Amino acid sequence: MSSAETPALEVRNLVAGYGDYPVVDGVSLTVPHGQVVAVAGPNGAGKSTLLKAMLGLVRILSGSVLLEGEDVTGAPLERLARLGVGYVPQLDDVFDSLKVIENLEMGGYLCDRAERQRRIEQVLEIFPVLRGKLHRYAETLSGGERKMTAIARVLMLDPKVLVLDEPTASLSPEMSRVVLEEQVRPLSRLGKSVLLVEQKAVAALEVADWACLLVRGKVEVSAPAAEVLADPNMREIFLGRAPAAAAEVAGPE
Amino acid sequence: MPGAGRARPRLIYKEALVHLLVQSIGFGVAAGAVLALGAVGFTLQFGISNVLNISYGSLMSVGAFLGLFMLGLGLNIWLVMVIGGLAVGACSVVLNRGLITPLVRKGMAPFGLVIVTVSAGIVLEYVIVAVAGPATQTYGNRSGATLNFLGWTLTTAQVVIFAITVVLMLGLHLLLTRTQLGRAMRATSANRTLARSCGIATSRISDIAWFMSGTFCGMAGIALAITIESFDFTLGSIFLIPMIAAAVLGGVGQPYGAMIGGMVVGIVSSVSSAYWDPAYQSVVAFGIIIVMLLVRPRGLFGSATATRKLLA
Repeated sequence: MSSAETPALEVRNLVAGYGDYPVVDGVSLTVPHGQVVAVAGPNGAGKSTLLKAMLGLVRILSGSVLLEGEDVTGAPLERLARLGVGYVPQLDDVFDSLKVIENLEMGGYLCDRAERQRRIEQVLEIFPVLRGKLHRYAETLSGGERKMTAIARVLMLDPKVLVLDEPTASLSPEMSRVVLEEQVRPLSRLGKSVLLVEQKAVAALEVADWACLLVRGKVEVSAPAAEVLADPNMREIFLGRAPAAAAEVAGPE
Repeated sequence: MPGAGRARPRLIYKEALVHLLVQSIGFGVAAGAVLALGAVGFTLQFGISNVLNISYGSLMSVGAFLGLFMLGLGLNIWLVMVIGGLAVGACSVVLNRGLITPLVRKGMAPFGLVIVTVSAGIVLEYVIVAVAGPATQTYGNRSGATLNFLGWTLTTAQVVIFAITVVLMLGLHLLLTRTQLGRAMRATSANRTLARSCGIATSRISDIAWFMSGTFCGMAGIALAITIESFDFTLGSIFLIPMIAAAVLGGVGQPYGAMIGGMVVGIVSSVSSAYWDPAYQSVVAFGIIIVMLLVRPRGLFGSATATRKLLA
């Protein structure tokens, strides 16, 4: 086990983007053990690019990514999965053409058969709703069930860190709250560290321990989530300025 | 009786037509086996690596010429088919590692990659010409004894090729459904990023897919050269159209679809050339592609996801 001071995940001065144009411009953030860190920001702020760079899917120009103190800058996604990083993409987050049970089995690809069975049982205890849907094809699931399957799939490898890219992107406001309250928040109770990227800032902050606001590829605010929610000025920054900034920097991410 | 005199020739004509139908279906099954072998290899690699490999036809010709070379060394024809297949499999991996993967890493779009594989195919064909010359070649008569059953007259070679195809398809089925590697291949085909986040090294899976695809391709090339009288360096590129037709019919990226698609295209073009000018065989293949894309673009067995891939 790592010492209390070593964070689960740390990003230092990360610069990343497509070609030579940095979309993420010197971002530093820390995800302590067992905590939920929410990264909010308008469309085009570089949230998804930040995640993808951390996961080896976008080229890193400079800076570093540390997983429990170990340098994993630019490591390929499959290696990160082996090291304990669970990634839930924003779209295409499940194997559509496979059944729910097969999605879980695929999630436990690295385990042997007995271990995989044991993990499936554990995951179904966390998400009992899925028990009745094991033989449904993932493409026939509702938005909420789908996200549940996606999160259950990454839990199969018992990851230390979960990276969730806008888990509520395609969900209604009510469903978004349900997913964040009932699916994301319990993860930290299981001892997982969670990096959550969200556009629905307030809903995300309500389940987060720490909040980062990303604007134009830079961290604008980094503070405890409760503080941000309690401070009307900070709330204003997260909520009020976001749409204006979105209009300003809108464009392909 | 004057009536009977007129009816008899018509009856014979009808019998002949039925016989022709039965016989052409038999030939179609034999041709379909080669097509299925080729189409499965083509679709397997596309489904997993998402690269439309037009040089596949030329790799098939490479297989046929490697076969010719080995036959010249006095090797057994079926051994030649296995070794030739594996050799083309190796070529296919080299093509992926040396050309395709570096370009994908640089971010080349699917359309650019198609052009690259077209070019690679042309280069391969002219390598064949440079080494073996442009002349028409033959394996000689490798048909073996003629067999009669179910009203079909087939050669031993056709039956053996059919059996080899069935065994390979069963093997592939078991691989895809029963093994860890097969599951990883299906996951990679379904969603590459997600497969990686499950810890699957998808670039290795791609290499394996290119190898298997090339092996099927080389074996199909040699099987084709066995069953036809003569061939030259264009053998595979001519055969590419019916193979793509078989793959599209079955749903691109769907191995089982390509198996059935190969059989259907084989039988349809054999029957059509029995009743119609054989020169129209390619027209039939193209017709199948176009009708399928108009009516049901995902193919008989394809999922919407595979279609999105094809159109992306």
